[in-house]
Amino acid sequence: MKIKAQMAMVLNLDKCIGCHTCSIPCKNVWTNRKGAEYMWFNNVETKPGIGYPQKWENQTIHNGGWTLKNGKLRLKAGERLHKFANIFHNPDLPTVEQYYEPWTYDYDKLISSPNKRYQPSIRPKSQITGDPIRIKWGPNWEDDLAGVSETGIHDVNFARLDHAVYLSFKHVFLFYLPRLCEHCLNPACVASCPSGALYKREEDGIVLVDQERCRGWRYCVSGCPYKKVYFNWNTGRSEKCIFCYPRIEAGMPTLCAFSCVGRIRYVGVVLYDADKIHAAASSDPPASLYRAHLDILLDPDDPEVARAANAQGISQNFIDAARKSPVFKLAKTWELALPLHPEFRTLPMVWYIPPLSPIAEHVEPTEQVDAIDRLRIPVAYLANLLTAGDETQIRRVLKRLIALRRYMRSIRVENSLDEDVLQQAGLTPQTAREMYQLLAIAKYEERFVVPTRAVGDGMQTFRDQGACGFS
Amino acid sequence: MNIANNLAFVVFPYLMLTVFVVGHIYRYVTDSLGWNARSSEFLEKKQLFYGATIFHWGILLTLLGHAGGLLIPQKVFDAVGINGDTHTMIAYYTGWLAGGAAFAGSVLLLIRRVTRRRIKATSLVNDYVTLIGLVIVTGLGFYNVVFGHFYVLDSVAPWIRSIVTFLPKPELMLGVPLSYKVHIVSALALLGFSPFSRLVHIWSAPFTYFPRRWILFRRSVADL
Ligand code: HEM
Ligand code: SF4
Repeated sequence: MKIKAQMAMVLNLDKCIGCHTCSIPCKNVWTNRKGAEYMWFNNVETKPGIGYPQKWENQTIHNGGWTLKNGKLRLKAGERLHKFANIFHNPDLPTVEQYYEPWTYDYDKLISSPNKRYQPSIRPKSQITGDPIRIKWGPNWEDDLAGVSETGIHDVNFARLDHAVYLSFKHVFLFYLPRLCEHCLNPACVASCPSGALYKREEDGIVLVDQERCRGWRYCVSGCPYKKVYFNWNTGRSEKCIFCYPRIEAGMPTLCAFSCVGRIRYVGVVLYDADKIHAAASSDPPASLYRAHLDILLDPDDPEVARAANAQGISQNFIDAARKSPVFKLAKTWELALPLHPEFRTLPMVWYIPPLSPIAEHVEPTEQVDAIDRLRIPVAYLANLLTAGDETQIRRVLKRLIALRRYMRSIRVENSLDEDVLQQAGLTPQTAREMYQLLAIAKYEERFVVPTRAVGDGMQTFRDQGACGFS
Repeated sequence: MNIANNLAFVVFPYLMLTVFVVGHIYRYVTDSLGWNARSSEFLEKKQLFYGATIFHWGILLTLLGHAGGLLIPQKVFDAVGINGDTHTMIAYYTGWLAGGAAFAGSVLLLIRRVTRRRIKATSLVNDYVTLIGLVIVTGLGFYNVVFGHFYVLDSVAPWIRSIVTFLPKPELMLGVPLSYKVHIVSALALLGFSPFSRLVHIWSAPFTYFPRRWILFRRSVADL
């Protein structure tokens, strides 16, 4: 057992209102620079949709992440020799159009315009060339389903569903998907970098690009199946979400989590067994990946684990934080939060609680069609997104969430105690109360349990400068 | 004439080689963040494919050919049964292929740089100097292959060896045609310029990727 600690996040999609508040402080603090204008370390997409960059989930196009070849875990885009042969022109690299060409306006024209018959207007101009351009895409282009009647058919999460049905007005559904780097346990970006510039931090698992060793071979950009490594066209180097580590080290949550008005985000530590990563990421069939992923997360309350963690040099405040971790509770103890596209085999560490949705009146309840089948968001869609197609996991989570609501409603509105509904979902009143507390009430200290970085004598800020993902 | 010859084929080569070595060290130490290929694939991908692929395979084979054909004495080739004429013939045909590719590729890259809007807008003077330099050097080299037909194995080749072994024999270059001389001088100039351009990426070709493991960890807090 090789124990490592990992900073992780849970996002409760049931509560995301799609306001983009998370993206703004992230943008303002981290990517408000030349060459980085188009980068959104955090962006919020509307589902269904093809997202940013376009069709990022479709790995037959983008070749990101890992795959099994003859039962062996392999980078989907090809391995060492293949990368060498194509290094002069990476066939899988997306181009700026697939994200969007960054633009600005000559705002001054509005003020300096002479008095004219018509109001002055300004046209968008490219921040790369300075030319006037037409804006054709963006990080939230499909906001609230804009244009999805056209793009929706390319959404891979409709696999095994008739997309035409769900893109028709009567059956349409939507929810929001905020996205950031997953700080994976088996990161394809790290494995793809020929220079070894990307690495996971030993202490907290945050994935960084060493800016001094990045040579711009750009395989991390194409290797990441979530397309969360970005190429800075000005510096010729890659950049990515740094999980706000300067804040994390000081015990504060990331900017996206901190600013979230819906309070949908939770940040905490989990301990995991690094010896099992390879086996877990190689699980077959893909639907078994979720279980395998859960199985490598270690219970910090297990004295055996705590002792081993201590012996292996994990600091006490990390172990303490792991015990109070909201992420561990939501993902492992209650199994409410699920990994995004586990079939990419990177073992992502940003977890998502699937959203409930209104009951569709046009679907008649029958013996076979229960409440969960009548939710507007089809279970199969969520399964394609979060469990590699395993609908039973989605049903289990949704059932728990519904039961929790029923139970709390019975107490607070109906003044009766409906514990049957809990039993059917496999919950006890005690757990239900705790879940309610964390999902609905939790304040700052409960949602964000972030241990401060130990400041050892060996801390060498000068040496670390540049190597730590940001320059 | 002899002074000019000495300047061009003793002083200038050593000057450029010194700038080359010291320049790379200087650049690596002072500009570690700029040490990369400044890839522009993100901004333009289609034309880059032809330019970059043809150019790189061409130039790498050309460099390999230069190293193998000029640095290794003809005696060694004789010993394995490749006499001077055969050697020249091999150089001629591979020169057509590899040199031609390097030349064509660099021209394509230059065309791309001036015609593609986004590439043009993000180009630095440095990028143009590099590419024009490469067009000139590979162009002259290719010209020499196609039209030169000059026997280099007892002139240019031993001269290069005399330079790298620090026993310069500039007199070997006296009878060499002008187009060869200009090719050599411009190549040396490019060599001296390269530490200050994106060409530094050549020395970072990532061979360490082969033996290394997939997932890397680094400790940020040392000696806890
Ligand atoms: C040793 C192996 C080499 C590797 C791995 C390599 C790799 C690369 C890469 C990745 C690019 C960026 C292409 C892009 O995406 O825009 C590039 C560009 C370039 N390389 Fe190399 N290269 C190598 C050798 C060379 C050599 C020997 C030369 C010339 C002497 C050279 C000259 C150039 C030039 C001029 C460009 C810029 C092309 C442009 O954008 O106009 N490279 N190289
Ligand atoms: S999500 Fe993050 S850690 Fe995972 S492969 Fe992409 S960039 Fe790397």
